[in-house]
Amino acid sequence: MDDLFKILIIDDEEVVLDSCTMILEGGNYDVATASNGELGVELAQDFQPGLIFVDLKMPGISGFEVIERINAIDPSIVVIVITGYATVSSAVDAMKRGAYDFLPKPFTPDEFRLITQRGVEKRTLVLETQALRREKEALREQFAAIVSHELRSPLGAIQQNLFALTIDLAEKLTDDQKNRLDRMKVRIDDLLKIISTWLRAISGDISQIRDSFKPTDLNTVILKAVESLQIQATRKDIEIITNIIESMNPVNGDEVTLTEAMVNLIGNAVKYSRGGSKVEVQAQQEGDKIVISVIDSGVGIAREDLPYLFDSFTIGKTGTAGERSSGIGLSVTKRIIEAHDGILTVESEPGKGSIFRITLPVTQADLI
Amino acid sequence: MSAGKKLLIIDDDPDFVDGIRSILLSAKYEVDVAYNPKDGIKALQTNPYDLLLLDIMMGRGAEGVMVARKIRKDPKLRETPVLIITGIREQMAFLFPGQAVHPHFVPVDELVEKPVEPQLLLEKVSNLIKTAEERKAKA
Repeated sequence: MDDLFKILIIDDEEVVLDSCTMILEGGNYDVATASNGELGVELAQDFQPGLIFVDLKMPGISGFEVIERINAIDPSIVVIVITGYATVSSAVDAMKRGAYDFLPKPFTPDEFRLITQRGVEKRTLVLETQALRREKEALREQFAAIVSHELRSPLGAIQQNLFALTIDLAEKLTDDQKNRLDRMKVRIDDLLKIISTWLRAISGDISQIRDSFKPTDLNTVILKAVESLQIQATRKDIEIITNIIESMNPVNGDEVTLTEAMVNLIGNAVKYSRGGSKVEVQAQQEGDKIVISVIDSGVGIAREDLPYLFDSFTIGKTGTAGERSSGIGLSVTKRIIEAHDGILTVESEPGKGSIFRITLPVTQADLI
Repeated sequence: MSAGKKLLIIDDDPDFVDGIRSILLSAKYEVDVAYNPKDGIKALQTNPYDLLLLDIMMGRGAEGVMVARKIRKDPKLRETPVLIITGIREQMAFLFPGQAVHPHFVPVDELVEKPVEPQLLLEKVSNLIKTAEERKAKA
């Protein structure tokens, strides 16, 4: 019996209740009826229907109010309005208050069956969406746990052994070998840092970085980011040009994550630029805001992809040299910027290039 | 300073243990290892140690915490200084809300994150041993 889809019909006309019940008979439904709004709302709670038909014009509380009360009980219940005065305005009004659709009286059995079917489908979709959303949240949390343990542990063990080997082999290694060992340690350290940032971004507590905010010079941030991408850029024969106004006010922020945000944006620009082209990083102060633009003349982003660009795990195209996309850099970058009360926007034209723009408020300290 | 000092590492990751033991050996410490909480407790009860290096995330969860609780309940063992080594600081905040940086399992302890820079590791180890010895001398 649990498989039956529960439908509640609220109408003051007994004829309507009876005929609707009859129409649905033999279908996979469990139908209950109520002859006024009060009873209807009560039944909505006790009977727990997935779909409710409500007559708009009833004695006692109106259909509009019933819709609102049902919405308050469980917004996933699908409500369809039966209206005797099939004016567009009352139907629109009902839909504004959360009704899914409306059925003008009089209606044929087929019309009623059809709209019932649509209501059932809608309810199924709503429930599926809710389940998926919960699953997504669970995945997000699980992912955070997996990242922290499964990725960090092996890297930590490798790094610890590199530390140990540096000491053990201090007398035996040539300077060049020591240098390579040091570079390995730096690379692994970078990786560990990135994992920590992702972890924070994904587990949603990136705002924790706010605890360590202090006046930060964006000049330093940008130059650091550019420096760390220089090798990649040179390898692809791409020139990174910086055009930064020297005398910018500092922003209240966290240097490590801001640098990471810049590395992500400039890194993307390099990734999606063709050899021989230029990537430009501009920064200037406009009133109490600093605007940083990362401009490339690379492959650009299709218009239909733009709305999803900043979502986690939206995997982008591979770069011009086959670089892979993790689908997480831009989402983390956006979260970092937003944790700094800033805004990240994008303009792009396929084939012509993209401009990513960060707007950050300058620190309030020297304005007081 | 480190001559004759005996340390115990309890950690279930043999590779990480190798890395950390090698650094401690290079500083002339004597080092024993237990690769699970059970062997760790047994070792602590049979031999005197000057310091314990304890991993928190072992086995199916924070089994290191169980070790720490057992040590705290034992009036003799709780005088052993403990260097807690955790995969990630946030885990500590999660396990012990409000005392993320310094867990205070036992009178003398400290927390470091994996991986540990050799200099920091040796510094923490020698400081903890010194603090525990001073405590003992006062008592």
